[in-house]
Amino acid sequence: MRLERRLEQPRWLVLAVPVGSIAFSFAVMAVVLVATGHDPGYTYRRLFSAAFTADGALTSTLVFATPIVFTGLAAAAAFRMQLFNIGGEGQLYLGAVAAVGIALWLGDRGVTSTPLLILAMCLCGAAAGAAWAAIPGVLRAFFKTNEIITSLMLNYVAALLLTYLILDSFSYWRDTESFEGKTFGIGKVIPEEAHWPSATLDVAGEVVVPLGFAMAIVLAIVVWVLYSRTRFGFELQVIGDSQRTARYAGMRLRRKILAVMCLSGAIAGLGGAALEGDFAHQLDPTGLPASYYGYTGIVVAALARYNPLAVVPVGFLLGGLLSAGFTLQGADFPSGLVGVMQGIILFCALGGELLIRYRVRIGRGMRGPASAAAEPAP
Amino acid sequence: MNDSLLVDLLAHAVLYGTPLLFAALGELLAERSGVLNLGVEGMMLVGAVMGFWAVQSFDAPSGVSLAAAVGVAALAGAAMALIHAFLVITLRANQIVSGLALTIFAGALGLSSYLGNDLDLAGVPADASFQNRDVLGLADVPVLGPIVFGQNALVYASWVCVVLVGLYLARTRPGLNVRAVGESPAAADAMGIDVSAYRYAHTLAGGALAGVGGACFSLAITPQWVDGLTRGAGWIAIALVIFAFWRADLCLVGAYFFGAFSYLPFALEARGVAEGVPSEVFDSLPYVLTIVVLVFVSFGFAKRRLGAPAALGVPYVREER
Amino acid sequence: MGEPDSPLLNEANVGGAGKSGASPVPAVSMRQITKRFPGVLANDRVDFEAAAGEVHALLGENGAGKTTLSNVLTGLYRPDGGVVEVYGNPVEFRSPRDALAAGIGMVHQHFRLVAPFTVAENIVLGDHRAEGRSFVIHQRAIERRVAELGERYGLGVDPQARLWQLSVGEQQRVEILKALYREARILIMDEPTAVLTPQEAEALFETLRAMAEEGRTVVFISHKLHEVTAVADRVTVLRAGRNVATVPAAQATQRSLAALMVGREIDEARRIERERPAGEEVALEVEGLSVPGDRGGLAVKDVSLAVRAGEIVGVAGVAGNGQRELAEAVYGMRGATEGVVRVNGSALASGDPRVAIAARIAHVPEDRLGTGLAPSLSVAANVVLKSYRRPPVSRGPLLAVRRMRELALSLIRRYDVQTPGPDTPVRNLSGGNLQKLVLGREFQGEPRILVAAQPTRGLDVGAIETVHAYLRDAASKGVAVLLISEDLDELRAITDRIVVMYEGRIVGERDAQTATVEEIGYLMAGGRDEA
Repeated sequence: MRLERRLEQPRWLVLAVPVGSIAFSFAVMAVVLVATGHDPGYTYRRLFSAAFTADGALTSTLVFATPIVFTGLAAAAAFRMQLFNIGGEGQLYLGAVAAVGIALWLGDRGVTSTPLLILAMCLCGAAAGAAWAAIPGVLRAFFKTNEIITSLMLNYVAALLLTYLILDSFSYWRDTESFEGKTFGIGKVIPEEAHWPSATLDVAGEVVVPLGFAMAIVLAIVVWVLYSRTRFGFELQVIGDSQRTARYAGMRLRRKILAVMCLSGAIAGLGGAALEGDFAHQLDPTGLPASYYGYTGIVVAALARYNPLAVVPVGFLLGGLLSAGFTLQGADFPSGLVGVMQGIILFCALGGELLIRYRVRIGRGMRGPASAAAEPAP
Repeated sequence: MNDSLLVDLLAHAVLYGTPLLFAALGELLAERSGVLNLGVEGMMLVGAVMGFWAVQSFDAPSGVSLAAAVGVAALAGAAMALIHAFLVITLRANQIVSGLALTIFAGALGLSSYLGNDLDLAGVPADASFQNRDVLGLADVPVLGPIVFGQNALVYASWVCVVLVGLYLARTRPGLNVRAVGESPAAADAMGIDVSAYRYAHTLAGGALAGVGGACFSLAITPQWVDGLTRGAGWIAIALVIFAFWRADLCLVGAYFFGAFSYLPFALEARGVAEGVPSEVFDSLPYVLTIVVLVFVSFGFAKRRLGAPAALGVPYVREER
Repeated sequence: MGEPDSPLLNEANVGGAGKSGASPVPAVSMRQITKRFPGVLANDRVDFEAAAGEVHALLGENGAGKTTLSNVLTGLYRPDGGVVEVYGNPVEFRSPRDALAAGIGMVHQHFRLVAPFTVAENIVLGDHRAEGRSFVIHQRAIERRVAELGERYGLGVDPQARLWQLSVGEQQRVEILKALYREARILIMDEPTAVLTPQEAEALFETLRAMAEEGRTVVFISHKLHEVTAVADRVTVLRAGRNVATVPAAQATQRSLAALMVGREIDEARRIERERPAGEEVALEVEGLSVPGDRGGLAVKDVSLAVRAGEIVGVAGVAGNGQRELAEAVYGMRGATEGVVRVNGSALASGDPRVAIAARIAHVPEDRLGTGLAPSLSVAANVVLKSYRRPPVSRGPLLAVRRMRELALSLIRRYDVQTPGPDTPVRNLSGGNLQKLVLGREFQGEPRILVAAQPTRGLDVGAIETVHAYLRDAASKGVAVLLISEDLDELRAITDRIVVMYEGRIVGERDAQTATVEEIGYLMAGGRDEA
């Protein structure tokens, strides 16, 4: 097999490959299902129904899609620049902690204006996420420490923080009134006024669109404009392509690296705020880490080929998968299936990248003299 | 004396550090050939669950059953590594994303969980597990006894591996070749070395060792199957390789160092030391320490030639202009 | 110099010493070789033949297909058409391993060596022969053999030294020893003198002649006419991927070869006197500059020089003597530990390219694609690489994409950059066009000073002429030009003064009109300046 680098990348291929890889991965998954004694057709039908067509399915899908669109944007924003921020998970947690905290605090002081509460939650969530991402950011920008491992380690620390706040201490976030709160450890619920509103659309049945999802769409557009139409975005493109060239052009590398990491963290933190404001309304130290929103966001970003606009539809589709997995879990529907499917989809997308970048020639390159046209040498 | 905090800590440092050591040695081999495999956590979990399954399914004297289980764990880890190897070596995919995909695919909430549930493995202790031995009857010797002579078979196997890997890389011809492949695949290729074959071989070996590392949890330390059993050990192993400057002997030092910090919370709690401090602080120590260590390593040595194989993470294409 | 026990003389097919050029069976025979890459036909039905015991030169300008052809012979590339025969036996090389087994060894232009390894480790790497094969490496035996070979051929190197500690010339010796260690009967040397002083080149030619006399075949690839006539028995000329002629060296002159190489009559490089603008203020001044290198220690030691407006000062020296670091320090990409860089009298802060750009210093770096350009980005993006911060390209924080394209289009037209369009990724462009793009962009900034490092390396004759014209043009408009080059002919042709760097210091200065190759070569090799 020989590889020739393509000179240009045909547009249709750029779209066909991700779509094709999803189709291919469904085929592969079918094989796995059959091998483990499940009926693929039945499983897929139930998946599709639970994700999109059943009553309330779309609403449930949006519930799962919202946080992963945020974390997908966070990952895309960083990965595009060759900054592998794996810490979206922890940054989301910190965003949730901060958002819940400010909502409780303002609620205790009698603030009842919903817009104000939403704004406060968003600001605090983004700030907390940015701060958490600043740690690997600073280490990478100024000490050249690999951000993959540092950001990842902080995920574990963030999860431990959640555990501490709710289960291991009587912190401000913990519900200390009720019996369950005192014994088992449950988070305080944020006041009604801090619950984010949603819009109910009459599209394909009744679909409840949470504020967070709408926010995510706007954010995707903002990020897209930032990256493709601004000076900042231009600099990021150059840095992502060749750091040496960026330095040659007089760009300030360290500041940009830190800025991108913080931006990425802020988006993830915002996702945490949206998660709390739209759905959870309290800190859940066991449920939140178990949902893997951060890591799923990376899958979304990779499938969307790091394009912020593509993150929204991809996030929606993957949200459907997650939602179906959640609804259907039980003896009949194997747990772990969701992770396996995501993995396979991602593998296929990665493999498909090859087709976009290179032209593949199978077979041997050498042809015998008989096939060479006989022309006299000049 | 052998009940003192220090001896207890060191003895357990060795025990807890052993899965890290196996996984780090494996990743070391892969990275020396130029392949970065971030899927270690996933490979360890799959190794752990398959090793556990093997021990529950085999009906044989415990020695045989355990040995076979370790073999199964190694094969499972290698099978996972094969996916990554195919994607990054033959299909030239981005090594970082592929490794992450492998972790998502195989890790907690993925294949290992799928298998654990499908095969009904949770909640039951292992039919056989690695017990602490009494080598040369010296297990009760003060200080050194529990640390060196009272460990389980997997620990001793890991020591053998350290020696073998170290000698392999430094003194043998294939070891020289693989180092060349990792530093300068173009030079290796020009000298007639099959870059792809070396990369495949070492990535698979890495997977096998990671699988064995996972089995350390489910067959020795815990010894049960729990979803997400390894709790990030795979990631620490990756950091360990950097910390050890890609050398086998330093991997041992590093593994036990981190192993000590993993065990510290238990040791302190058992002795009622530092009661006021929340356990989460100690639980987070290994992770925080990894970050600190990484900063030190990258800070001082950015300019020297110690360390990373130059071609790490970069796919090799021969005919590219 | 042939030893009685040399395995080469046992080879039944070894013909005569090759002086007549007609051996019974050629050592190497390549017929109708064709090789294609995306966008370019590198070899077009090339025939090539080399006899045992001869030094056969493969001549052609940059881009003619010489390296491609040799890569086919060494198994790195598989040809799209044609046949290769070694000592009369048809061969199909699937990888370099097969070529090595057939006795073909190559000394590459860009060394295929592993920097952290020792000399011995590099030489013994990948050795698959039965004699050298053992699972464990016998350190001492290998070192002994390396020392032996080094002495025999005048290529002494310390087998235990780490490669990055060696000079470039010494590294080349390791490359040659690699082939000799494997007893290569056919040796291919790809542009070997690029990294040598003129004196070292002479010594190399002697070594090559000695090897040929032993019965080996040496294929010598070069684009330098005077070398080819000095060392070869026969010369094959490639042009645009085709073999245009094969002549005995005795019957060729530099002029006739040049005509074959380029396809038209060209005048020998003449000095063209320029109009010097009035006023000779010093535009660029470097004083007592010391700059650290990549491996600890100083790469530039206490260097002082001055360039006046409208002057072209050349910096000669073998690669690796601090020229690159000097250029980087002047431009701010590398910080200096001592000394100062002054532009029109005022000192610049060290280590910040932005400061240099603001002082209107333009830099054409050695590494076009890796430093001077962002390879995956479009031509348009690269055109505005330094000017994007100001209008008209940006309006506030936003980029005016259309203006960017317009600017790019006008630059492409003005400097004749061959590209499908402004949106093409620059990595698709050829070397010559890349250089025109970089120069065009730098000139757009209306620089006061231009630091050009190896600007014509790897370019074909046409592109070289263009670049020289641009440099002269800039100087006549008052730009102070600092030209770093390994090509002495280039320096003598277009500069006003030549300074020579050796081991980080300036060891001599000569007026370009009167300087001789011998003088400068002597200084380049570390000779002391009596003047």
